[in-house]
Amino acid sequence: MSFDFDAMLQTIKDKQWSLADIDWDAPGAETVTDELRAKMKPFMADLVWIEHVGARGFASLATKAPTPTIRRIYEYFHAEEQKHANAELALMKRWGMLDEDGTPPEPNINVKLAIKVLDEYGDGLPLTGLATLIPLLECALDGALVKFLLDEVSDPVCHQVFRHINSDEARHITVDFQVLELIGAGPLHKLVIESVALLKPQVVLGLIVVFVPLINKMRDNIVAMGLPEQKLYNAVKRFATIGSRGDFTQRIPAYHVLRAQAAMVVDRTSPYHRLLADPMVRLTSLVPARLLGKPQAWVDELTHEPIAS
Amino acid sequence: MSAVTSTTASAADYDGLLLQGGQWRGRSFTGLRVAVLAPGREAALIVPDVVRTARSVKVFQEEPDWLVAWHLPLPRLLARPAARLSLRWSVPDPWTRRRLTPDGRFNTRRPRVDGRYYAALRQPGCTLITWPVYAFVPDGVRSAEGIEHRVDCIVLGTSSVFATASSREDVPA
Ligand SMILES: [Fe+2]
Ligand SMILES: [Fe+2]
Repeated sequence: MSFDFDAMLQTIKDKQWSLADIDWDAPGAETVTDELRAKMKPFMADLVWIEHVGARGFASLATKAPTPTIRRIYEYFHAEEQKHANAELALMKRWGMLDEDGTPPEPNINVKLAIKVLDEYGDGLPLTGLATLIPLLECALDGALVKFLLDEVSDPVCHQVFRHINSDEARHITVDFQVLELIGAGPLHKLVIESVALLKPQVVLGLIVVFVPLINKMRDNIVAMGLPEQKLYNAVKRFATIGSRGDFTQRIPAYHVLRAQAAMVVDRTSPYHRLLADPMVRLTSLVPARLLGKPQAWVDELTHEPIAS
Repeated sequence: MSAVTSTTASAADYDGLLLQGGQWRGRSFTGLRVAVLAPGREAALIVPDVVRTARSVKVFQEEPDWLVAWHLPLPRLLARPAARLSLRWSVPDPWTRRRLTPDGRFNTRRPRVDGRYYAALRQPGCTLITWPVYAFVPDGVRSAEGIEHRVDCIVLGTSSVFATASSREDVPA
């Protein structure tokens, strides 16, 4: 019954696609009206950066992969998330959301904080922590944000791009949860040691300062744009459902913590918002970006150009 | 062959100048945009030579390896820390350094002696790319970050995952 990661790696190689496969000048861009453009621009900017930060997350995960094959899979996922960011940037370009040079949008302060934390601590996080956080973010992205975008935009090129992206994401989520199964099946003492490592103050603080407001701000933005909250709720339910299907995932303490946090995120009446998340959004909005220093060079790797020479 | 190196892409799909084995040696690349596909230990050999004459060089480094600048009579135990220091000194940019750092758990090769690779990568016109290449196309290669990289010449290392069985002679570990 154990999962065949070698076969998965081969499938990943076989399913690669390129921005160069897509006709970025095909008709359909005109379906994005001025009104829709104004409404979707901040959403697309957030989406590009979430993919890009997700890419960096997989880069950290690769350094912790339990086997060479899983490491290689994570290296591909790192590249694929970058591809998603590049493709979404190309859509922004197509829809007239970028300037003449196609300069990527500036990330918001919460994204900048996430970049800072990943640069400083990403490679030091234990496997169980990152491997649990990433599928939660992927479920939310996949289940809520992307579906919302496809409901709003009818441009056929956008739908073509997201057929590729969604097929990639289905493999990401499969692997994410299979790795949790692998970790969960490991010796209990290892799970305990790694969970204790996750309780280091800088890790806990990093997660609270960075991911709590990041997620809440994103939720506020999309709910304000008309995303039914039910969709967010479904996305989190998916994280719980897939996780509970496994035999071993539930032995991972970090999984329970994140599942509980996710449940609070989608429950508007939870004191989590009043006492923690909303104040953190306000507080982080006051952080001057220059305090964070220069991010590492990976943030400059975004491009909307399908061909480089 | 492990899954990490198995692949279906074929260099035969590339229409430009393809150099395999030792064909890159003693050659001028003047005016050419060159892609080098090789693991770190071999890119370290090829890139300093190619970068001298090429218009631009994209180094598609497959797997990083430890390098030390000089032959030092160090016990085996200290070889890796020495390589790490050498990398730290030669490559100031942390993201580049990260991509040049081998995974100590899976790469058990001893450091190779090479003092030129890191300097060559810092030459203008030389770019280090660590995205996996997944296909050859008539004008170049496609890598998994979704971009097609067009070049006039591809240098395929003998230990590249894309080297054909006949031209393959693994650089010893
Ligand atoms: Fe993605
Ligand atoms: Fe993903």
